[in-house]
Amino acid sequence: MGALGKPIIIMVGMYVFLKFVLPNIPGSAPLPSSLIVLYLLLTAAGIVILETVSRESKDAFWGPMQRFLTGENIGGLQAIRYGVFILFPLLVGWQTYSSTATSDSPPSESRTIHPAPPGEYTGLSNPVPNTPDNIMQGKGFYAAFCSPCHGVNFDGNGPAARGYNPRPANFADPTTIAMLQESYLFWRIKKGGVGLPIEGAPWKSAMPRWELELPDEWIWKIILGEYDGAHQSPRTWE
Amino acid sequence: MKPANLVVKRVLRGGSAAIAAMIIGAASLSFAQESVAVRAPLVVGALPFDDPNAAVWSSAVPATFPMSPQVHWPDRIQEVTVKDVIVRALHDGTQVAVLLEYADPSEDQDDAAAIEFMVGEKKAHFAHGQPMLQVEGGPVNIWFWKNKENKAVDMSAKGFGTLKPQAHQDVKAKGLYANGTWKIVFSRALVTEHPDEDMQVTLGEFIDVAFAVWDGRKDAAGELVEKGSQKAVSSWWYFRADAPPDYSSYLYAAMAVALALGFQFVLIRKLKKGQ
Repeated sequence: MGALGKPIIIMVGMYVFLKFVLPNIPGSAPLPSSLIVLYLLLTAAGIVILETVSRESKDAFWGPMQRFLTGENIGGLQAIRYGVFILFPLLVGWQTYSSTATSDSPPSESRTIHPAPPGEYTGLSNPVPNTPDNIMQGKGFYAAFCSPCHGVNFDGNGPAARGYNPRPANFADPTTIAMLQESYLFWRIKKGGVGLPIEGAPWKSAMPRWELELPDEWIWKIILGEYDGAHQSPRTWE
Repeated sequence: MKPANLVVKRVLRGGSAAIAAMIIGAASLSFAQESVAVRAPLVVGALPFDDPNAAVWSSAVPATFPMSPQVHWPDRIQEVTVKDVIVRALHDGTQVAVLLEYADPSEDQDDAAAIEFMVGEKKAHFAHGQPMLQVEGGPVNIWFWKNKENKAVDMSAKGFGTLKPQAHQDVKAKGLYANGTWKIVFSRALVTEHPDEDMQVTLGEFIDVAFAVWDGRKDAAGELVEKGSQKAVSSWWYFRADAPPDYSSYLYAAMAVALALGFQFVLIRKLKKGQ
C-alpha cells in the first residue's frame, strides 16, 4: 500500500484545506460542496496522470489495487476487501434509489437577502442632517410605521412579525443595515417587498411600498432613527 | 496487464463518480429548505366534505401556520384574534378536501376564512397577487368562506382592488363552530376546466398556498374590528396532494445492486485471469 499512501494523504490534505482552511483565509468564503468535489476530482486526475507516466510508477500505483481486489497476499486486509465488495453494490443501489425516488421536500427557494438595488438608488446621500431632532423624529415615524414588524427594539421581533416568512429584518444584527448604505435602505423602504428583483423573491415579502404613503423626507428620517436606535452605522466607501 | 489496468481505471472512475454524487446529494439535503407544507394523502372512500370531525381526518398530518396582522397594504391592523391555523387535507384522486381549524373565542356572523393559491407558473405576491415592480406576477385563486352564508365563494385576484367572484363557482365549504374552535372544510375537484383562474392540482407537485382569517367580532361602537384588508394572514407555504405509491425506485435500486455485483464478479475474474 506504500504507493497509495501518498495519493491518499494528498486527497485528504486537499479536502481539509478546501473545507476548513480556505474559508478562514481573510477575504475568502466557504466553497460550495460541488466546487470542493470538482477540485478533488481534478486533484485525483492529476495524481493518476503523475503516477502513470512511466511503466514502473504505473505498476507501483495500480499494483496494490489489483492485489487488493484479487485478494492475493493481502493478509489481514481480506476482511476489508469483502467489506468493499458488499458496500460498493449497496452504495450504487442507494444512489440509484435516491436519484429516482420522488422527492418529499418542497422546492428549495434560494433567496438573496440583499439583492442589488436599481442604479438610481446607489450612492445617494441622506439629505436630512444627522441631528438629534431629526433622529428623534425618525424614531417617532419608525415607532408608528415600522415597529409593528421590526420591533420597538429594532430586533425584527415586533408583534406583527410572527406569521411572516421571511421574518422582518433585525436591524441590531450586524449583518443587516450595518452592511448597507443609507441609499440602499432608502430604496428598500420606498419600494418595499414588491420592488425586489426576482432573486429577492418579492412575492414573499410583506414589506409595504412606503413611497405610496410617506414623503421621502420621512423615509430619510426613519433611516437616521433606525441606525441610531439599532446602535449601527451605515456602510460607507471610506 | 493492460486490460486489467483498464478495468481498474474504469472501476475507480465509476466509484469516484458515485462517491461524488453521494457527497453532492448529502450537501443538497443539508441545505434543504425548512418550509412547512400541507400534505393531502390519498384516501379510499368518500371524502368528509361536510364533516370536519370525521375519523378519516386523522389520516392527514396536521400542519400549523403562524398568522400575522395584514400590514402590507392600508388599511392595516395592529392585532388580530387568530394566531395560528391548523390545516389538514385529503384527496381521493378526483376531489380534494382541506380542513382549516383555528381558535376563536366567539362565534360571529361575520367570521370568515380564506385559502389562497398561486395559479399557473408565474409567482404571485401573497397579498392578493399584488403587482411587483421588477417581476411579472401571476393571479391568485381565493377560496373564501363566510359564516353568515356558510358556503364558499370561488374568487380570483391580481392585486388589491381586483378581487372578484368567478363566473364558475367550483368550491364548496362548510364550517362548524364548537368549543371555541372553528373547523371549516373546503372542497373542490383536483382539476377544473378553468386553468387560467383556478389552481390545478397535479398529484405529487407542490403548490404555493396561504391563509387568511377574519374574526367577526365588533367593537364597543358596533363596528367590525376585522374586515376587508384588516385580517390575519399567513405567508406563502406549500400544498401537495400525494401521488399514489410508486415502488419503481426500489426496483431500479435492486437492478443497480445486481449490476454492481455482476460487474464486481467479472472484474475480479478478469483480474485473476490477467495475472
